[in-house]
Amino acid sequence: MMRLAAIIWIGFAVASAQAAEIAIALTNDHVEVDTGFSGARLTLFGAISGIEAPETGAGVDIISVIRGPATQFEIRQLQKSGPIWMPGNTHAIKDAPGLYLTNANRPITDIAPLPDQAAYHLGTDFLKIDATQDHREAPDEAQTSAQAELFAKAFVTEVEDAGLYRDRIGGVEFKKGSLFAINVDLPANTPVGDYSVAVYLYQDGVLLGRDEADLVVNKVGIERRIFDLAHNQPVTYGILCVAISLFAGWIAALAFRK
Amino acid sequence: MLIYLPIAEIPVDPFVVIFMGAVVGFLSGMFGVGGGFLMTPLLIFYGIPPAIAVGTEASQIVASSVSGVLAHLKRKTVDFMMGGFLVAGGGVGAIVGIFIFRYFRAMGQIETFISLAYIIFLGLIGALMMVESMRALLRSPDAPRPRRKHRSVEWMAVMPFAMRFRRSQIYISPIPPIILGFLVGVLSAIMGVGGGFIMVPAMLYILKMPTNVVIGTSLFQIIFVTAIATILHAAANQTVDIVLSLLLLTGGVIGAQIGARAGRRLKGEQLRALLALIVLGVCARLVFGLVTPPASPFIVVGAP
Repeated sequence: MMRLAAIIWIGFAVASAQAAEIAIALTNDHVEVDTGFSGARLTLFGAISGIEAPETGAGVDIISVIRGPATQFEIRQLQKSGPIWMPGNTHAIKDAPGLYLTNANRPITDIAPLPDQAAYHLGTDFLKIDATQDHREAPDEAQTSAQAELFAKAFVTEVEDAGLYRDRIGGVEFKKGSLFAINVDLPANTPVGDYSVAVYLYQDGVLLGRDEADLVVNKVGIERRIFDLAHNQPVTYGILCVAISLFAGWIAALAFRK
Repeated sequence: MLIYLPIAEIPVDPFVVIFMGAVVGFLSGMFGVGGGFLMTPLLIFYGIPPAIAVGTEASQIVASSVSGVLAHLKRKTVDFMMGGFLVAGGGVGAIVGIFIFRYFRAMGQIETFISLAYIIFLGLIGALMMVESMRALLRSPDAPRPRRKHRSVEWMAVMPFAMRFRRSQIYISPIPPIILGFLVGVLSAIMGVGGGFIMVPAMLYILKMPTNVVIGTSLFQIIFVTAIATILHAAANQTVDIVLSLLLLTGGVIGAQIGARAGRRLKGEQLRALLALIVLGVCARLVFGLVTPPASPFIVVGAP
């Protein structure tokens, strides 16, 4: 029902437009992370207007970008010191998106010209990642630009392996008329916070239109209460943990008493 | 089925975690040990961040010590006065331990630090137990057991404020118990262990306490010090995951019952040799983890 309503609503919204336009809506603008969360599927519905028969695939391309909340990351390189491997100096990655997923009907490099890719940060290669060495740990060592680049690249590879950053070809379905849907799989380690969702409409390498929507990922249920308590009132939480442990231990002792 | 751990912030299979609790519970029931020194490395191997493994394990030891403490209280085999001094030292030790923990965590070296601490302790204790139990196993059953020499510990006799510990029937200064409690408290906070494996031998051979009060008094100290360590870890590091702790406890209590029954079928020396093997195996696995080149040379951590 909701999907149908969304499609109809978009249909009306874009019917009156004249120039080529793209509009999206989310079936659900709240994703809830609860105790059983193991990832979720997010569906973006959209409509294109102002161009002839987009469903024939006459050079129409769509890119979607989902950007998670700005996150402070740290990256360290394991170095061999004596017989063991230990982490070296900290390099801080400030304000990188906590999640970054793109979907496109074909490779982004084939869809958008390079200046656009750089301007709109389309694709993980075009994210602006700055790795700065922590000066408190190594005050005498100056960071070289080669190092900065190495750590920025390594960072993207690592978060891609963790499933947090991904460029995916596919998931874009052209539906009947001028409607389309994009299916995005959010990983189990999706961070909580405010997200932005953007879609870009291209035809023959020219940006015709774009639209944005907001998305919120929340923790809910007992899961959220535990997290909030542990971070907002850590002492109370600690005392509660001891009380729960004592009680659980007592129950266990009763259960197995002979 | 997966359960999302609220503090560790990773999804885990609850049955795997319960099973891990049961395996360690089985071993601790069989050998009569606390099991913290096996549980924490196992959690790390499973992929729980080491800092959270340590904090969570402290709370699990509180829970799994309750039944033992209750039993010893009923049998009146707890020396409260001795326990009080041990807890006093242990509380201060736990605070110092948390500061050390925080320091290494801020440096980004807590993983390496915890692994090294475990390698040293498991290696030492495993080797000692192995030597001791092999000697006992190789000794012919008819030969008389070598008499333990009753050397009086001289440095203890000169310590001030000597007092009478009624239940233990000893007359010593409270300073050695406070120092002992302190050292075990530091270990407890850094490694997520109860510390019984150090406390019990130290009480027997250094403090010369009688065997019947040693276990009860040690458990009494452990439950207080791990409770303090739990609160400190929660307050200073936010690393206590109560959901993980309860899952482990569920497996642990069941495993311990089965283990205790299995333990009655084996001889003491055989048990100790087996435990020594397990301890050395875990130690070797930790060494392997530190010396093999990592699959990926980079570590990334992030916080909003």
